[in-house]
Amino acid sequence: MIRVDRLHKRFGAVQAVRDLSFEVPPGEILGFLGPNGAGKTTTLRILSGFLPPSSGAAAVAGHDLTQASIQARRATGYLPESFVAPPELRVGEYLRFRAGLKAVPGARRRRRVAEVTEMLGLGPRLRQPFSALSKGFRQRVGLADALLADPPALLLDEPFGGLDPLQRQEFRELLRGLAHDHRKAVLFSSHVLPEVEELADRVLVIDEGRALALGSREELLSRLDQAPRQRLRISGDGAALGRKLPEAFPGLEVLACDGGELLLQLADAGQRGALFRWFACRGEEVLAFHPDTPTLEDLFRVLVAGAPGAPEEAA
Amino acid sequence: MTAFTALLKREVFSLLVTPSVYLLLGVWYLLNGLLFVYALDFSPEVQSDLSLLPQYLFGSSLLVWLLLPAFPPLVTLRLLAEEHRLGTLEPLLTAPISDAAVVLAKYLSASIFFLLFWGGVLLLFVLLASLGAQLDWARVVGGFCGAFLCSLLFLATGLFASSWSGNLILAAGGGAALNYLLLFLPAITENADGAVGAVARAAHIPNMLDRGFAAGLLDSYAAAYFLGLSGLFLFLTWVRLVSRRWVP
Repeated sequence: MIRVDRLHKRFGAVQAVRDLSFEVPPGEILGFLGPNGAGKTTTLRILSGFLPPSSGAAAVAGHDLTQASIQARRATGYLPESFVAPPELRVGEYLRFRAGLKAVPGARRRRRVAEVTEMLGLGPRLRQPFSALSKGFRQRVGLADALLADPPALLLDEPFGGLDPLQRQEFRELLRGLAHDHRKAVLFSSHVLPEVEELADRVLVIDEGRALALGSREELLSRLDQAPRQRLRISGDGAALGRKLPEAFPGLEVLACDGGELLLQLADAGQRGALFRWFACRGEEVLAFHPDTPTLEDLFRVLVAGAPGAPEEAA
Repeated sequence: MTAFTALLKREVFSLLVTPSVYLLLGVWYLLNGLLFVYALDFSPEVQSDLSLLPQYLFGSSLLVWLLLPAFPPLVTLRLLAEEHRLGTLEPLLTAPISDAAVVLAKYLSASIFFLLFWGGVLLLFVLLASLGAQLDWARVVGGFCGAFLCSLLFLATGLFASSWSGNLILAAGGGAALNYLLLFLPAITENADGAVGAVARAAHIPNMLDRGFAAGLLDSYAAAYFLGLSGLFLFLTWVRLVSRRWVP
């Protein structure tokens, strides 16, 4: 549905996107993850038809962005990072104008505006001018605009910016529904890792315009060459016991110790059971005992910050 | 409804609800009304021959020389520069509408709106006729057409200036500067020898208005000049819009 093939974008001496290739099939949410200035917005702007690529190809719904830009744009719903509508227009007026601009047939236009505004909880705001809306409602208007023509592909640039936690939750559920129930290909960018981790079916990590890794969360995390870690909390003095642990468990490292809280790096996962018994034999009450699973944040740190243990570059 | 019609309607609506444009319209009507009264009350030429009145209002009067170049850019400045300043250009240029259609819709909306400017002046003649004055309607209608065609050119330069940045002063000032150049450069150089003088005489806008349209003649050369140059500036606006995609 969204296809990017060896995409390059150069602004003068600055290479914003380098040899980027990926696909987003219908029904999938691809999270575009990278630090500020990584090339996320530039890539989305190319896919939205706002910027042309320097070289390479990009297509939406089979329409090449350079050969058939209008058709590709018709198949795309795009939410820019800082979405702004003309301040003098009311929400309803703006959405009806945008529906006309996207050639939504006249008979369907009012119904479609009513559908998307209901879907996004914008009904009570239809008569308000855009300038009077909060950031969260402005984002909703932007998303309503992107959904008006019922496009098969959605491009969302930092869609969670300015939303409160409740709105984020609603937004996530909405996007999941659009992708999984309505079979839309969704590509969204973010530098907020938990958002990507929670929402994306697959993740594309980019930095300096180059793809560093692409895959599902599990696939990416499995590439982290990391020994199992265990987090536990005991009732007694963690520091004193922590000093004895490496002797009792060869290969074990105490990574952090704060009162009764310990973060341990195990030599292997089999040490977990023995560790629990070891504390019990010493009369220590284990209050909490859970594995410290790696997150996308760990992977991101490894990939982008170049921390040791970086996996090979993704295909 | 096509994307073009939707954009045209929205632009016309936008102009209709912009208070500053009504301020411009008020100043325009006031100045033209004063000139109208002055010509009727104090100009011996007009008092002796009422058919000369269209030349005052649509021809080479002080208003054409000083005000007409400045007003159209004040109308067009918001069409692209304001969109750029507000950040609404990105949603517009990612909609399924061609850049050429965006330029044409914006230009046409400003042109339609500018009809109000000259339409009000035309109304003064209708008012005069209703009071029993014998008017040469060929001169009135011809003068109106000439002034409007000239305004089309000045709106096109204004739109071109508006496409350059989000700076509204630059958009208005740049458009007005271009218009004054188109108006004054031929007037300054019309007595020069050779090709320069010939080109200046061929591009002398007040002469086109005064001796052609406002004299009741349909000057096809002048019409082609205004429409051709308007087309050139619209093309340059389109080039600027396309190039902005390459060098934002």
